[in-house]
Parts: sequence; structure tokens; C-alpha cells
Amino acid sequence: MPMKGRFPVRRTLQYLSQGDVVFKSSVKVMTVNYNTAGELSEGARKFVFFNIPQIQYKNPWVQIMLFRNMTPSPFLRFYLDSGEQVLVDVEDKTNKEITEHVKKILGKSKEMLEKEERGRKKLSHPATFGPKKYHLRECMCEIEGQVPCPAFVPLPNEMRGKYKAAMKNEA
Amino acid sequence: MLRALRRCRPGPVPLPALPPALGPGLGPGLGPGLCPAWAPRAVPVRGRKTRHDPPAKSKAGRVKLPPPVDPEELLVVLERYRQHRLVLSALRAEFRAEVLQRQREERLAAGGSAEELEEHRRLMAWNEEQNARQRARREERLRKEEEEQKRRKLEIAEKQARKMEAFLEEKEKEVLQLQEEAKNFITPENLEARIEECLDNPRNYNFAIDKDGRIVKRTVLS
Repeated sequence: MPMKGRFPVRRTLQYLSQGDVVFKSSVKVMTVNYNTAGELSEGARKFVFFNIPQIQYKNPWVQIMLFRNMTPSPFLRFYLDSGEQVLVDVEDKTNKEITEHVKKILGKSKEMLEKEERGRKKLSHPATFGPKKYHLRECMCEIEGQVPCPAFVPLPNEMRGKYKAAMKNEA
Repeated sequence: MLRALRRCRPGPVPLPALPPALGPGLGPGLGPGLCPAWAPRAVPVRGRKTRHDPPAKSKAGRVKLPPPVDPEELLVVLERYRQHRLVLSALRAEFRAEVLQRQREERLAAGGSAEELEEHRRLMAWNEEQNARQRARREERLRKEEEEQKRRKLEIAEKQARKMEAFLEEKEKEVLQLQEEAKNFITPENLEARIEECLDNPRNYNFAIDKDGRIVKRTVLS
């Protein structure tokens, strides 16, 4: 019941986030033509089985289409937003080689990814607190070095209005 | 002149509904839908009663007047509001334009800078090169396979031919052998002669053999 499919590891978040192909913003559609039998399509089959989930996870807005047994030899085709089509012949290649090739021609480079990451980090300040959607912490009591939440650790009597009022009444 | 001060002006003004007290008292020069500027203009608010219920007797002579307005104060206040709103909307438009401008600039910068296009073209060229290499390899492979196929076909044909030849030879040999044997056949013509011959030369098929395996063919025919 808990595990589904032949290689359930493909469904784990850890596996999916290990994919390192992030397409440039100009890539809109990726089409894979491959065959279900034959030695030459073996690499393409493995690519479709193991690497395409990772790619789709990292590029949720790229449309990926698979065509089986339509052509004698396997290939990949990318459609960019300028109308350009990029053909990649994957006959006789292993799935690792295919991913490397694709990453080289249409993937964002490491520097670009890091730059984007930095830009994203600059927008939000990690020291502020507020709603979980925009900040890391919700209340000041969660910040290290601040007074802990009175729900878990009762405040000392000097800070409690109840005690102070009782003292004032007594005096 | 301001619309709000219109009721201070002498003359009739348009009105959505006439209060009943004034209805029959229309003077000359006033058409339907008009009443004197000083006339009370108030739309009654629905409470417990529907529009079809008659108003109460205690309200028979009621004249409802709107709250008094100081014209100068009104002028001043309206003018101030107008200026305030003008300034605010101008500020908003300014900020909106700035944000759009910034977005446009960013999009341009990210979109097509020269070195990016150059890089893209270089990568496409490299891809083309790889494809060409793969094409060459594929053609090589196909050519080899074709040759292999031809060779195999040729081999099969040769083997077939050889088999055919061997078979024919066999058959030839058999035919010759038969021809040879035919010479010794017994036909109705030489039947008599052959019988005579056999009777004349009795053949002895007996032989003796001892425990050591020595065969002796020279035995006595009885």
C-alpha cells in the first residue's frame, strides 16, 4: 500500500529535488519521441523513466509530451518561445549523457541559478517575523534570545500584571 | 454652480418623487417631476410598512427638511476634497508608472542581451555538430548492416546452389549405377538362358565357422 510502482523512489521529494536541469525561460515545450523496444532506444527509455519526473518537478511550467513507437530512431525536440525548434538526437546515448547534453544546451547555468537565488533572498528579510507566508517566524517568542512564549514557560512574576496588581493592592 | 447649492437658486428643480402634500398644489409653470427649489425634498425610508401602506395620520402635516448647509463652508470643504483627491490620484498614477517602468526594464535586461544570444547560438551550433556526428555514426551502422545482410544472402544462395549440385550429382550416380545393373537384369528374353545358366553352375552358399572365427567356404555341396 505505501509504495506504488516499480521504482517508488522516483516519487520521493528528495529524489525529485536532486534533478539539476532547470530550463531557460525561453523553453516552453519538450517533446520526446522514443520506442518501447530496441537496443538503440534504451537510453531514451531510461531517460523518460528516471529523469523526466525530476525535470518536470524543477520546471512545472514546461509542457512535456511523450510519443512512443512513431519513428525508427529516438530524439528530443524543444520548442522555444521565439518559434525556434531544437532537435537533439539521442540514439545510442545513455540517460546520463542525455541529461548532460540537455543541461548544457538549454539549462540555466549554476551562476544564473545562484544569482536568482540571491535576488529572491534579497526580497525578504530573515530577521522580521509575521505571517508564515512571508516570514520565517510568526511571533517574537520564537526568536532565539527573546522571552519565550508564556504558553510553554510561565513569565516571571515581575512581568505579570496579575502579580503587580496584587502587590499594589497589598501595599 | 455647484449641484448641491441648486436648491438655493430661485426656480423649480427636478425631483424624483413629489410629497403628497404638495402634489395637488402645483402652480403654473411647474410640470410633472418639478417642484419649487424651496420645497422639501425627502425620500421616505422604508420601516415596518411596505410602499402600499398609507402613511400614519400623525404624519399628515409632516414636512421633512434636509439638514441645513452653509454654502461657504460647503464650497471650501468641497474644494479641499477636490484638491486632496487630485493629489492622491496623481501620486498613485506616478507610483504605478514607476513600477511598470521598472518591470519593463527588468524584462528587457533579462530578455535578450547580446552575449546571451551569442551563447545561445554557440550552444545550438554545438548541438548541431553532435547531431551531425550521430547521423554519421548511424549511417555507418546502417551501411554495415546492409552489407552484412547482402553477404548473408549471398552465402545462403551459394549454399543452396551447392546443395542443388550435390543432389544432382547423387541422382546422376544413382542413374548410372542403375544403368550398370540393368545390364544384369533378368528379362523375359534371357529368362531361359539365365535359368539354364543357374542350373548349370550350382553355387554353394554354405560355410563353416569355428570358435576362433575362422570361416571355411570350401565345403561339400550336397
